[in-house]
Amino acid sequence: MPKEFEPNIVAFLCNWCSYAGADLAGTSRIQYPPNVKIIRVMCSGRVNPIFVLNALQEGVDGVIIGGCHPGECHYETGNYLARRRMTVLKKILEYIGINPKRVQMAWISASEGGKFAEVIKTATDEIKKLGPISQIKRRNKW
Amino acid sequence: MVDNKKLQGEIKKILGRNDVKHVICYSKGTYGFQTTPYFVSKKDDIEKIIFSPLCVNNLSLYVKFDEGTEKIGIVVKGCDSRSLVQMIQEKLIPREKLIIVGIPCNGVIDPKKVRQKIPEELENIDVVEKNDKFIFKRDGKKQKIPKRELVFDKCLVCEYPTPIIYDILVGEKINPLGKDEYKQVKDLESKSLDEKWKFWEKQFSQCIRCYACRNVCPACYCKECMAEQLNPQWLRRSVNLSENTVWNVMHAFHLAGRCTDCGECERVCPMDIPLMLLNKKVEKDVRELFDYLAGVDVDEKPLLAMFKPDDPEEDIK
Amino acid sequence: MSPTQELVIDKNKIPQFIKQTLSSYIVLGPVKNNNLVSFKQITNSKEITMDFTNSKVPPKSLYFPQTETLFRFTKDKDIEIETPKNDGKTLVFGIRPCDAKSLKLLDQVFSGEYEDSLFLSRRKNTTLVGLTCNSPSVNCFCTSVGGNPDDTTGLDVLLTDIGDKYFVELLTQKGKNLVESFNEFKPAKNEDKKKKTVISRKARESIQRIVKTEKIEQILNEIFENKYWGEISRKCLGCGICTFLCPTCHCFDIQDETAGKKGARIRIWDSCMYPEYSMQASGYNPRPAQMNRMRNRVYHKFNYFPKNQHVFGCVGCGRCIDECPVNVDIIEIINKAREVKNE
Repeated sequence: MPKEFEPNIVAFLCNWCSYAGADLAGTSRIQYPPNVKIIRVMCSGRVNPIFVLNALQEGVDGVIIGGCHPGECHYETGNYLARRRMTVLKKILEYIGINPKRVQMAWISASEGGKFAEVIKTATDEIKKLGPISQIKRRNKW
Repeated sequence: MVDNKKLQGEIKKILGRNDVKHVICYSKGTYGFQTTPYFVSKKDDIEKIIFSPLCVNNLSLYVKFDEGTEKIGIVVKGCDSRSLVQMIQEKLIPREKLIIVGIPCNGVIDPKKVRQKIPEELENIDVVEKNDKFIFKRDGKKQKIPKRELVFDKCLVCEYPTPIIYDILVGEKINPLGKDEYKQVKDLESKSLDEKWKFWEKQFSQCIRCYACRNVCPACYCKECMAEQLNPQWLRRSVNLSENTVWNVMHAFHLAGRCTDCGECERVCPMDIPLMLLNKKVEKDVRELFDYLAGVDVDEKPLLAMFKPDDPEEDIK
Repeated sequence: MSPTQELVIDKNKIPQFIKQTLSSYIVLGPVKNNNLVSFKQITNSKEITMDFTNSKVPPKSLYFPQTETLFRFTKDKDIEIETPKNDGKTLVFGIRPCDAKSLKLLDQVFSGEYEDSLFLSRRKNTTLVGLTCNSPSVNCFCTSVGGNPDDTTGLDVLLTDIGDKYFVELLTQKGKNLVESFNEFKPAKNEDKKKKTVISRKARESIQRIVKTEKIEQILNEIFENKYWGEISRKCLGCGICTFLCPTCHCFDIQDETAGKKGARIRIWDSCMYPEYSMQASGYNPRPAQMNRMRNRVYHKFNYFPKNQHVFGCVGCGRCIDECPVNVDIIEIINKAREVKNE
């Protein structure tokens, strides 16, 4: 039986809101796809576009950036800056020919364990349909 | 047409001050259609200063290299002055340090376009503007070519032909030559994702990562470029499609809200990659999404260092 | 020295000739893409253009690629050193005499006490078919540095366009091996040879830009500390285009790339015009300013290389002048250097 494509997804989650939300999803025993690998950052504003691009280069099929809801950032403005950055980055990626659905952003608060699971479920389904990333993947021909 | 004698006179006056290190202007190049950046510090050298439709360089990039406390003079066209505005906005250099000689510009000649119509020869060619044509004189022979066929694409839609900031203006103010409709960007936007990738894959495969686009850009002045950082190394030095794409995407991203459309990156690229097609897309998006244009207001705040609570939130879950 | 043989071939027989070579050689030739010519592998004679001045990226990239693996390693296992691939005989078609000469210069760099097997094995397997420059471009100055539009250094065959035919000079055994199986090559007649001589002379005379290279090594020795170098380098951006497009530039950097347990050591082109090139681990940089780097580049071509290898390090192709964004011009720099007096 052919193995179904399982995407690799990396999620950059901010320590105070979305990471705590992910924790809550876990402690509440809410099921969500195991395709996501979580990297904790202190704030979504820490996420540099190069992180996203490096992830896509290493063969990651989709990247999620999770932050606090606008107005609730632990550092006041981090998520607003991240929002602007990621909007610009997604536009550039779409223009280059990389499906913008591969890079998603979500506002998940510490109490939204359910929302976190939903976001991961939807993202995994969407990225599964897109197939494995190939455009900027590092070939490592050596 | 710019009165070269008047320009030389104004620069001589600037050199007469005792607080100016040098004036950055243009001089004749070493062959054919070339002109060259020229650093003048002595009054005796002013005869070499020129301004012609062949003066394509954006001299504002030399502000990046400025050191010391002395003032510097600089000659700028309309598009170049936007780069200066951007640098002042970002506090790279205080306004008082610059003595700006503004030249209202009707369009400069794209060397790639003119070389297809007139063969390159050693002797410096003479070119004058007359109405809507350029008249080239060489070996006693004249050749008239419509301006529209020779100027850069950016000149055809130039909205800022008169420098935005200047201390001295050499020439009469000019009204905008056109309005930028971002036609080429829109054409590419309308293609499918696969077609877009096919196009850019071909372009980025040509890139030799010489970083000329970065070095000539007036907005690129990081002391250590992220492409050269080794610890951690974001971008491998290998030249292949993956690294080239990331380089070009990151470069365009770092210029978001900062690129002033001077087009030098595309002019200098030895592999003829259409970099302005990428940078203008970012410029168009920034204009539409955030109502922001770089290099027009010295008091504006940098795009990605600020935010509005009601910034667009497409697709954010 | 093997005696040259002089032949002619009709231009319209060239596509057939190339088709034949494709059966026993890997063929690389000048391919035009939107006005940009580069040397690429071809599978069809139609892909080649003979109507060009020179390629943008010089043919050094065929022997000294921009990115090259030196050895591979796997954690807890042995290192696997890259062995030169023996892909078979290669034929490079349409190389200009200046570029062919540059390959000979690179031979000197990559052999000697340490032999670079990757570079040299590629060179050994190659046959070079050159093309005389009937119309040198504005910035060509091969004649000032010991070259010629019809120079035969480093070539196995030299073709000269004499109208509806090519005048063919067989220069080495490799060259003879290449043409002997194709029977459309005919012995050259006196009138063919005359045409070739006239064309070569006209090409030589059309080179207007002359670099006065007499005793330049000595002059450069004397003006090392002169402020002239500061003046000429002020406009230089340090962009690296000149070094990347120079057929004799050969500086490289070595980097390790890893992915999980595997990795490789890679060699990539570097440029002495970048500040990082000479930056030391301590943070000290012996060439801190653009002045130092520009001076180093000029001296490398016209003083250091001649001192060590007894030839100019420059072949006069003019690419650096054509492509420099700010019109830094090596011809102007060298000619004006003669006028600089020691202070």
